[in-house]
Amino acid sequence: MRLFKWGILGLVFAYLYLPILVLVGNSFNASKYGHQWMGFSLKWYAKLLQNEALMQAFIHSLTIALLAATAATLIGTLMALALYRYRFVLKGTASGLLFVVMMSPDIVLAITFLVIFIALGIQLGFWSLLIAHITFCLPFVVITVFAQFRDFDPNLLEAAQDLGAGEWRTFRWIILPLVTPAILSGWLLSFTLSLDDVIISSFVTGSDYEILPVRVYSMVKVGISPEVNVLATLLLALSLVLVTIVSVLTHRRNPQS
Amino acid sequence: MKRHLFLLLGLIVFSGAVQAGGKVVVYNWAEYIPEGVVDAFTEETGIEVQYATFENNETMYAKLQLQKGKGYDVVVPSTYLVSKMRDEGLLQPIDQTKLSNYKHLDPDMLDKPYDPGNQYSIPYLWGSTGIGVNAAAIDPATITRWSDLWDPKWKGQLLLTDDVREVFHMALKVLGYSTNTQNAEEIRKAYEKLTELMPNVLVFNADAPREPFLAGDVNLGMIWSGEVSMAQEEMEDLVYVYPKEGAAFWIDSFVIPAGAENVDNAHKFIDYMLRPEIAKLTVEEIGYATPNLTARGMLDESIANDPVIFPSAKIIRAGEFQKDIGEQATTLMNGYWEKLKSGM
Amino acid sequence: MNFRRLVILLTLGWLGLFVLLPHLLVVLTSLLSADTSHLAVYPFTLESYQRLWAPIYAGVFWHSLWLSGVTTLICLLLGYPFAYLVARMSPGWRNFMLFMMVVPFWTNSLIRTYAIKLILGSKGLINSLLLATGLVERPLQLLYTEFAVIFGLVYILLPFLVLPLIASFDKLDKNLLEAAHDLGAKRWQRFVHVVLPLTMPGVVAGCLIVFLPAMGMFYVSDLLGGAKNLLIGNVIKNQFLLTRDWPFGSAISVGLILIMALLLYLYYLANRRIQRKGGLHDEAL
Repeated sequence: MRLFKWGILGLVFAYLYLPILVLVGNSFNASKYGHQWMGFSLKWYAKLLQNEALMQAFIHSLTIALLAATAATLIGTLMALALYRYRFVLKGTASGLLFVVMMSPDIVLAITFLVIFIALGIQLGFWSLLIAHITFCLPFVVITVFAQFRDFDPNLLEAAQDLGAGEWRTFRWIILPLVTPAILSGWLLSFTLSLDDVIISSFVTGSDYEILPVRVYSMVKVGISPEVNVLATLLLALSLVLVTIVSVLTHRRNPQS
Repeated sequence: MKRHLFLLLGLIVFSGAVQAGGKVVVYNWAEYIPEGVVDAFTEETGIEVQYATFENNETMYAKLQLQKGKGYDVVVPSTYLVSKMRDEGLLQPIDQTKLSNYKHLDPDMLDKPYDPGNQYSIPYLWGSTGIGVNAAAIDPATITRWSDLWDPKWKGQLLLTDDVREVFHMALKVLGYSTNTQNAEEIRKAYEKLTELMPNVLVFNADAPREPFLAGDVNLGMIWSGEVSMAQEEMEDLVYVYPKEGAAFWIDSFVIPAGAENVDNAHKFIDYMLRPEIAKLTVEEIGYATPNLTARGMLDESIANDPVIFPSAKIIRAGEFQKDIGEQATTLMNGYWEKLKSGM
Repeated sequence: MNFRRLVILLTLGWLGLFVLLPHLLVVLTSLLSADTSHLAVYPFTLESYQRLWAPIYAGVFWHSLWLSGVTTLICLLLGYPFAYLVARMSPGWRNFMLFMMVVPFWTNSLIRTYAIKLILGSKGLINSLLLATGLVERPLQLLYTEFAVIFGLVYILLPFLVLPLIASFDKLDKNLLEAAHDLGAKRWQRFVHVVLPLTMPGVVAGCLIVFLPAMGMFYVSDLLGGAKNLLIGNVIKNQFLLTRDWPFGSAISVGLILIMALLLYLYYLANRRIQRKGGLHDEAL
């Protein structure tokens, strides 16, 4: 039984991490091809920094991820609030639409975005990308925050109302602090999803705002590109830093979690 | 906190828009410009270059259509798309008086039927599609014709370029038809011939057909001439064969889309690329042939006489330049192409 | 405008404009006629839907279904025991495991797919190992095969199946297991009669999250499959970005959405059945 347990765990993690390790390892590999280890080298890091186009795409992707995550968290938290607390016409539809976004395959979503942007005359580029990313992150934020709402003590809110606090104040001073862990998780999740996205980005991107997946796609087909390995490693490192920051923040607020 | 957010947002959005000297947006094939040329151009002229890439003509065409010819200032389509795009009003005329280096171009490469007088296009590079053979695994002497690829012993081993016109070119040539035929019957026969080839295909690749060769996954297949030149640096055994039935020849040209915003800068960029030193560098690094006669004279002997890059007139005559085949034939071919790619 | 109104407006406004309207537009587009210069024009027609029935698309469709199915199955075989084990760990370990599952997502999935090429190629990791240990004499053709595509799909989608499954295991009432134990049930019986049925909603949810997206992941079949054997995702992409037959591309998408709706309905039915049998208090969305 023990063997089985560690066997499965080991297998899954090996499967998940082997490609990552290959990427990270090869980013330091002096050989261009990565089939053999030819010594430790940082030259690909230097090469990446010189590859302006790739660096620019990288920064663009990061920018979008940061902005989309933040905006999605803001909007999503408010949406979760609305779904939890308020009653309004079409409330069920709203939930349904969020559900649709979450469950739809990327390609279907990509098309819906493409169509609406053309219809609205929004030029494909930074804004179309941002809106699309925010939208597909929303359901995940909403679910995360909503779940934490449910753990709420409703008496708290009643007490606030009895004391005369309006909606905004109740939200700002009571609800918000209590759901902050969920908000941070939602942010992190959105950031991850945005960085990871390939399909939607490749459909709604424009000429003036090149992002990573589009840039990398042709490079990747070209084959062995050590700069891509470096990129992967950098992305990984950056995300690890972010997650550490977030969990430290979460821990501070919720020491027992 | 929200205020800071907006500030940040504003900064990021507007930082790209303010640039002294203006900018030019270039849309080109992947890996089709030497490293550093773009930077050198920017250094000299102060014009910022936004560089985007595509893998095949059809994707580029679709993108341009989608954006109605806007968003890009310089694009590099292949021959057959130049006439098509021009006819659909997607291009604007190029002012040759603004191109001081135009005189360096080989007259043989100019004034071709697809663009009389070169009103809409300036040739950038030309090349061919032929057969690549890994000499270490297969004796190149045994591969001389397109039809050799149909041999059942290559089952599941071939590479084909992911390009509908080029793959059909193969079949059409094997059957003795023109690559530019619009005859529905001939195209259908080519499709049927290709269905016999499909079991031999391992992979379609349009970004860098040399890659599967270099990775050891493929030893035989279609490939572009420049790819072989580039690959030979790392893999000496890669040999390029001009099939007897005729290779496919194409010219990739600079065009300026109808909706381009930085027309002047576009001309400057094209003129820069026409400089003999730049053209020379391009051949050396990318491995395709330049239509720039002056540059050709500056090249090293080994490159100027390399048949992979500069084939003899005889070989060129045996091959055929691709032209637009019109809406109907294109749709027909695309339909067959879809079938082939889904395994039918 | 008070706060409450603003929030409701924001919710309905954003979802209406960027989710509802686009979907309606896609359905509308699917009913229009194709035109290569203008993307989609009047008159209305059912032509696109009629074309869906052509053998070629049926073929692609079944093939995608098959690939998705196999992918989902493998994810399940690997993911279920994994989730089971992780759910039983102490919170500290559990969080660590969850963390480790999410980390790979921080490199773009395209880059990860490319890394798989390094592993499956003729000169890749697996073949190098096999050759070095003498298990094979010539490198195996792993890349550009269906195996590679499935390998890639499972790779990207496995965490999506595991995470809801872990949540499902979490909700398992330990008392039920204890009760079963007290009644003399052996480990195996406990598993089959208690654990399995109660985690069904999680299994179904996980499968849904894997099954449908798998059909749309064109870049995996492009990079790892050799760009032959199109998936439905490739066909849709081609319609929009290559052939520019928007009505047809929209029609295929509508088809996919309908299948998704069908699967979700089945999920809903399965969920209701479980709850009626007195199992979990699973909060549906």
